[in-house]
Amino acid sequence: MDAVERANAEKQKRWVKDQKVGEGTYAVVYRGREAATGRRVAIKKIKIGQFKDGLDMSAIREVKYLRELHHQNVIGLLDVFSSKTNLNLVLEFLDSDLEMIIKDRSLVFLPADIKSWMAMTIRGLEFCHRNFILHRDLKPNNLLVASDGQLKIADFGLARDFADPGYKMTSQVITRWYRPPELLFGCRYYSSAVDIWSVGCIFAELMLRTPYLPGETDMDQLRTIFRALGTPTEEEWPGYTKLPDYIPVGQFPKTPLRDLFTAASGDALNLLSRCLIYEPRRRITAIEALHHPYFTGLPYPTHPSKLPRPASRASRPLEEVDGNVDMVDSGPGVKAVASNRLKRKLSSPMDGVRPLARRLDFTQHKGS
Amino acid sequence: MTAEPSETHSNSPPGKAPLYEASTQFKSWRYSPKRLRHVRQTLNAAAVAAIRKTLEADEPGSSTSVSFLQPDDELLLVKLYTTKIPQLCGHFRFPEEVEATAISYLKRFYLKNTVMDWHPKNVMLTALFLATKTTNNPISLDSYTSNIPKTSQSDVLDLEFLVAQSLNFEFAVWHAHRALWGLWLDLQSLPDVTESLRPLEVYETALKHVRVSRFTDAELIYAPSQIALAALSLVSPFLCQKWLDSKMPSDPIAAESHRQILEQTNSEIENMIMQHGQPPDVEAAREVDRRLKLCKNPEKVVGSKAYLTRRAEEERRAEEKRNKKAQDIRKTSEGEDPFGSQLAGSQESQSVDDDDDD
Ligand SMILES: Nc1ncnc2c1ncn2[C@@H]1O[C@H](COP(=O)(O)OP(=O)(O)OP(=O)(O)O)[C@@H](O)[C@H]1O
Ligand SMILES: [Mg+2]
Repeated sequence: MDAVERANAEKQKRWVKDQKVGEGTYAVVYRGREAATGRRVAIKKIKIGQFKDGLDMSAIREVKYLRELHHQNVIGLLDVFSSKTNLNLVLEFLDSDLEMIIKDRSLVFLPADIKSWMAMTIRGLEFCHRNFILHRDLKPNNLLVASDGQLKIADFGLARDFADPGYKMTSQVITRWYRPPELLFGCRYYSSAVDIWSVGCIFAELMLRTPYLPGETDMDQLRTIFRALGTPTEEEWPGYTKLPDYIPVGQFPKTPLRDLFTAASGDALNLLSRCLIYEPRRRITAIEALHHPYFTGLPYPTHPSKLPRPASRASRPLEEVDGNVDMVDSGPGVKAVASNRLKRKLSSPMDGVRPLARRLDFTQHKGS
Repeated sequence: MTAEPSETHSNSPPGKAPLYEASTQFKSWRYSPKRLRHVRQTLNAAAVAAIRKTLEADEPGSSTSVSFLQPDDELLLVKLYTTKIPQLCGHFRFPEEVEATAISYLKRFYLKNTVMDWHPKNVMLTALFLATKTTNNPISLDSYTSNIPKTSQSDVLDLEFLVAQSLNFEFAVWHAHRALWGLWLDLQSLPDVTESLRPLEVYETALKHVRVSRFTDAELIYAPSQIALAALSLVSPFLCQKWLDSKMPSDPIAAESHRQILEQTNSEIENMIMQHGQPPDVEAAREVDRRLKLCKNPEKVVGSKAYLTRRAEEERRAEEKRNKKAQDIRKTSEGEDPFGSQLAGSQESQSVDDDDDD
């Protein structure tokens, strides 16, 4: 009797919980291992006793989507079991995340490294979108990196399906710096393009080594965006002044991206600009992005195993020392936020810091 | 999740990833009719044996007079509560996806549990509440229960974990009504199917058949697109044919064999819809419910002797575990390190906090 309880007890025995490694808003994360093999895992323990409406929505979303998604660039959910009033998600153990890597000033990024991280991010995202799933919280801290260098999209606590096109959704999603203007204007009917905007911000951040559009409030976020990319014209983004929470935030001229991203290639800037198109319907899609010349052209993306990586989660410094950076001469478009804007001196691929990147095979994982 | 025919169909065109076939629904929740019968029989037999044992332990000879439920009795009662879900959803004005998902949950639950352990009334209420959340249409527990007569919050919440567990935390469900919509859109793009050939009533009637199919085992046996196609075929064999023609491989031999398989499935599903789609006879269900009162598992009846015995046993085991943990911690803090008492102490408190409850 109680086959369900028995099955759960067996699953529970399969995994051993070791020490605590982190804490999020609704969960505690432990390092753990598979009892039989010693394989390293992360166990995310969600207390559900504390929610008056039962199982919490974030936990439900995370479990629902991760149960369905199996892709090299999406974090793997290995098992789910319960222990009394806790829900335990057994996840692949991932050593670091892109935020740690960006902040680690001892690491030097080659253009090929950035291309590799971008390729893995967009491949994982394309898979989500192909499955009609919006992530809605893409940011460097949710892009985890495995010990073999593979990048995995994690944290599906805000994800949802977008099966119904005319379906109203909340605009209160995505961490502010990575939130697209349509959401800041309160748009309730949106699509996979919201995630693409976040990808653009992450791309820029990889090149700048500092957040690209760090608004201080939702209002200020719009101002920050427009200051960087110019206030959209009616032609560029038809009808945007009619969006629910529209407010004018001022007229800013367009500055070429080139002024800020001095070391980036033409292809890189083209892809970046297409991720940051104001009209969501004109923004590049994940599948189109994968076929963009940026990915097919030289230099080839660094093989994941050769990517720069920080020492480890544990030994990460609390406050990084700014070595390799200088204050940016930002041009008119971004001047007002120049106080906290730093520009990375991009080293050229010829510096020979590391051996030349091996080619990453793009056809390999497409169907998976 | 969405399921458009071209994606859900097992004959999906090459190059297009068959998403449905990678789903938990495809992997964990599809059965042959024979397997389905076997699962239900096994669960039922195991439950009867265990309850008999409990009854005998309590009072020897007491189980002989009990008329335990048969698998068909269980099915009848589950079906009765399945038909209550659309009524409740209408009352709350939940979207169709909530309704269809809750029904799938209820059916799946009883492929892992028996009615004699868990009465379908509360399981139904819990499955529906869970479905509002998993489909992203959450409402507060308070407004949910206060709108359902004689229902307390704990009626719903107590079972939520058990239901989620029984579903193996596989919450995503692919639905035939979505597949039907995709099929309908496909038809609109066929050049020789003019608007007059596809009146909206066809879609609406087919949708009714899809809804009826939810009261049958169809979704546990067939893909959503297969059910949608059968529903369409019941209303308009002509449109069904047109759609098939447009999807058939160009090789005539392959096309013929596909066609035969599809026609076979179609008629099986049509039979299910026509023969098993009606709501159950309420009087018969009531009779089963009366018998259930006498044969339900006493270990699950709060306050009964068997329930208390079981609880005491669980409590004893938990106590043992706690004692062992405390002992282990004491051992660590009395460990070798002569300077380490402070450190060991702080580690101790951390590990106790972290692991308080499992
Ligand atoms: N798969 C994993 N492998 C290793 N460590 C992990 C893993 N997942 C999470 N962690 C660690 O646990 C911490 C908490 O993770 P979690 O996803 O619960 O919350 P978060 O993303 O930090 O915050 P929030 O809940 O606000 O999104 C992370 O910051 C990270 O240090
Ligand atoms: Mg996070």
